[in-house]
Amino acid sequence: MPLTIRELRRLLAPVPGLVAASVVPAASHGREVEACITPATLIEPGPVTARAVGAPEIWPGPVAFLDGTQRFEVAAYVGTSPLMLAEVAGAVRERTGRDTRTVAVERRAFAIGRREVLAALGGALAGIELVALPEDTPGHPLRDIEAARHEVDRARGEVERIVGDRYRREAPGRWLVVDGSLAESPAWALDARMVGVSKSHSTLPFDGDDLVTYLQLPAGHRSSIFQPASRRHAPVYAWGFRLWPWAGRDLFYGLVRIEVAARRESLAAADAICRWLLAERAPISAPDGRWDRLLYGIRSVEEYLRAVRGER
Amino acid sequence: MKNPVNNPHPAAPSGPPPVGRVVATELKPSTPHQFFFWTARESPVGIGAIVRVDADARTVFGVVTDGFAYSDLQTPMHAVIGADGDPAGTEEPTRRAEIRLFAAAVLRHLPEEPVQPVPLGLVHLASDADVVTALRMDAYTEGDTPTGIPVGVYAAGGLEAPVYVDADFLLGPEAAHLNISGVSGLATKTSAVEFLLSSIFQRFPAQKGRIAAVCFNVKGPDLCFLDQPAPLGEEDLRLYARLGLTPKAFSPVQYYAPYKADGVNLNTLRTHEALQANTQPLLWGLREVLDYAEVLLNRDDVDAKADAFIDFLAERVVGREYEDNTLPRKFHVKSFADLDEFFRAIFAVLEDAGRGGEVWRTHHIATIRKIRNRLGNISTRSKGLVTDDGDVNDLPWGGFQDRGLYVVDVAGLDPLAQDLVFARLVSRLREQLERRELGVDHVVVFVDELNKYAPAEGPDSYVRKMLLDISERGRYLGLVLFSAQQFRSQVQRRVVGNAGTTLMGRMDSDELALPGYSTMSPATKAKLAALPKGELLVRHPHFTQPIFVRFPRPAVLSGREGVERFPPAIELPFVEAVSRRLRALDPSLASSKIQDLVAGRREADVRKALNATLRARPDQPFAFFVKCLGREVKAESAAPKPGIRPVRTSADPY
Repeated sequence: MPLTIRELRRLLAPVPGLVAASVVPAASHGREVEACITPATLIEPGPVTARAVGAPEIWPGPVAFLDGTQRFEVAAYVGTSPLMLAEVAGAVRERTGRDTRTVAVERRAFAIGRREVLAALGGALAGIELVALPEDTPGHPLRDIEAARHEVDRARGEVERIVGDRYRREAPGRWLVVDGSLAESPAWALDARMVGVSKSHSTLPFDGDDLVTYLQLPAGHRSSIFQPASRRHAPVYAWGFRLWPWAGRDLFYGLVRIEVAARRESLAAADAICRWLLAERAPISAPDGRWDRLLYGIRSVEEYLRAVRGER
Repeated sequence: MKNPVNNPHPAAPSGPPPVGRVVATELKPSTPHQFFFWTARESPVGIGAIVRVDADARTVFGVVTDGFAYSDLQTPMHAVIGADGDPAGTEEPTRRAEIRLFAAAVLRHLPEEPVQPVPLGLVHLASDADVVTALRMDAYTEGDTPTGIPVGVYAAGGLEAPVYVDADFLLGPEAAHLNISGVSGLATKTSAVEFLLSSIFQRFPAQKGRIAAVCFNVKGPDLCFLDQPAPLGEEDLRLYARLGLTPKAFSPVQYYAPYKADGVNLNTLRTHEALQANTQPLLWGLREVLDYAEVLLNRDDVDAKADAFIDFLAERVVGREYEDNTLPRKFHVKSFADLDEFFRAIFAVLEDAGRGGEVWRTHHIATIRKIRNRLGNISTRSKGLVTDDGDVNDLPWGGFQDRGLYVVDVAGLDPLAQDLVFARLVSRLREQLERRELGVDHVVVFVDELNKYAPAEGPDSYVRKMLLDISERGRYLGLVLFSAQQFRSQVQRRVVGNAGTTLMGRMDSDELALPGYSTMSPATKAKLAALPKGELLVRHPHFTQPIFVRFPRPAVLSGREGVERFPPAIELPFVEAVSRRLRALDPSLASSKIQDLVAGRREADVRKALNATLRARPDQPFAFFVKCLGREVKAESAAPKPGIRPVRTSADPY
């Protein structure tokens, strides 16, 4: 079992030349994307419309939820260069009946820094993965931290793919709901039984009236299906879907973006998937502040990963 | 998919799987005497379950005392929002994360030293061997001379283990006495004591000596059929087998009951003809009563002067020839009737003395009258138990049998007479045990309704003082008190406090709310308040925590069953009652023969002959009875004595 950041810190204590630090950089727990509009291609004809999906329906049969967590801290400085410690983890929890249990989990812990920082560790972190930052630019503490954050993002995506693929191999026909985009993996983007539920709306697919329709979807309505413009690995179909009424709160309240494989049958399944997701509003994920968009199944994965890490 | 892709919690390699894991937080830390553990939602763990914690080189045994469950729901409002305010709406597709958290009290640490907080470790349900170790039963159930007495079966999660109490701590000399509490009808107090007595009789080690029991039946037919076997169900038979006991009725058993006021019909519900062979009258005379006069007198204002006069009667008058030059003749007082004559003689002397005749041999006439009234009152209120004519039929003092059960039915007696019976029998037991004359080395005395005999409040009585004395010193003599009551709080604290072993059946909630039960967890109290029949909470000196056990129903007829199967005989007229009692000794006797014999005879003479026959239990009861009754003396009319003729005198000169 990988060590935790706290345990790694203890190993660093006797290393000469390290000046201990304890900084948790902003956004160290998740990815940060710049807000932008990237026009998408409508798959369903006509202007963007709000479509009622019908009454909630319980997801038929077993369904699994996949999520990952990440965390990194500045643990020490060697001169002005930071040494960062990171933990990433991903897990799949499958629901059979009404009970959920962990069926796949992957964790990694590693240290990140410039080569000279890693060299200064000597053998203190023997057996621990060391990730060197690119050195094409002169050392700058904040830039190093930003580069480390990208590395942690990438590592988290990787462990999520590992557990997702592992589950998929074991349970090829079962539904798997992923927290975030399916575009992390080409295989996922082609999988007819995977659904991505993204809470982030940094990248919006429309502008003008279409954007008004998209962001003002009433509760229980979805937008027309579209194909996002730039996806890293593979094209997917997507649509916006409002889980909770937003009036009096915020445009993004209860709004999620659903992603499925870019296949004809996905079009027919869109309303059914929405009805299933509507049923997933309960139990709500409170007290998590994102409970209006965070499915309880996804939250249970996060809670599991936090619990095994001993985090309060 | 049955198996996880990569199980993050692989099961233990061998043995039964663990049922939980110890958790300790800042708010709920483990201590040397308590710990917490969580289990799966569906778990066999319940209140009272014994568990074992394994961690590194330490094993800890505990008993579950409380349970908690909660989900990750922070406020009920979130549940309302999630259901759109409709409680009947669609069920949540995912069950909320939920914890089953149990609190356990430590029973034992291994190694015992150093005493440390319970470590974080896996929790297993206790096996048979674990139960033995956890309850420290290994100290007295193993070895060459085991002293374990089965008290019931501990059961949890499909596992079942016999629980033993230590004879040395139940029957002395280390500790002794047993007290059982519980609400009437549901706590199975009487059944528990019957089962335990049977267990003691079967398993009390021979090297510890001979043992007998004396039970007081104080209400209805409760203890009236202990010699009658009852059919048992499969589950009860299985429990007996699990405990290594044989389900059987008590034997030998002797029943004692006083007569009704008529002096021939027994004052008990055990009057069915088939049960007469071992049912005897309990009959006392003046001597038996006078020795325990304090019992009868302490309720009133009997002072030192009265005590002195009673002592004078007991030491100088009763049972011996008494001669006093102030009295017209010698007295040999053997019965209440003799005593009354004696009193009348004193009063006559004092009356003749006239002025200044208030004192007889330093005893004031008022004191003498008071004692006469009190003693006379006894023979009136206890008619049937106390005879005027001095007949005595008593327990077999000096001849108690090993494993013998002696039941004294006082249910139909006046409370004063109950006190008398109780005080005298227990005092005699004590005296004989002290002198090692009883025939057995240990006697268990079972008293129900202890709150009546040793109440927590009220004036001190002879019986209460005696019970206190037994509870504090009886174990050294082999005199062991098994007592029962509904409410422990209503019994003298020192009496119940001295009971080494305590049993509790279903308890009243109000009673459990009293400070005396504050050491029990709310869950234990809740379980006690709803405990099914046949289950008990056991406290015993070897157990560091109370344990719930289940026991089989006794293999004897309950009072109600007994009365149904052996309905009490209808109260018979004098002659027929005599006939029935004699026929109990010899069923071949013809009723008509007996009736012909006693017809026309004085009832007092018949009673005397009957009691003598019952006491002697001769081979030929009828012949013996005839002999005791004596030849009928025909009434003869005396011829008028010739009168004395008046002396002839001369004519009156006036």
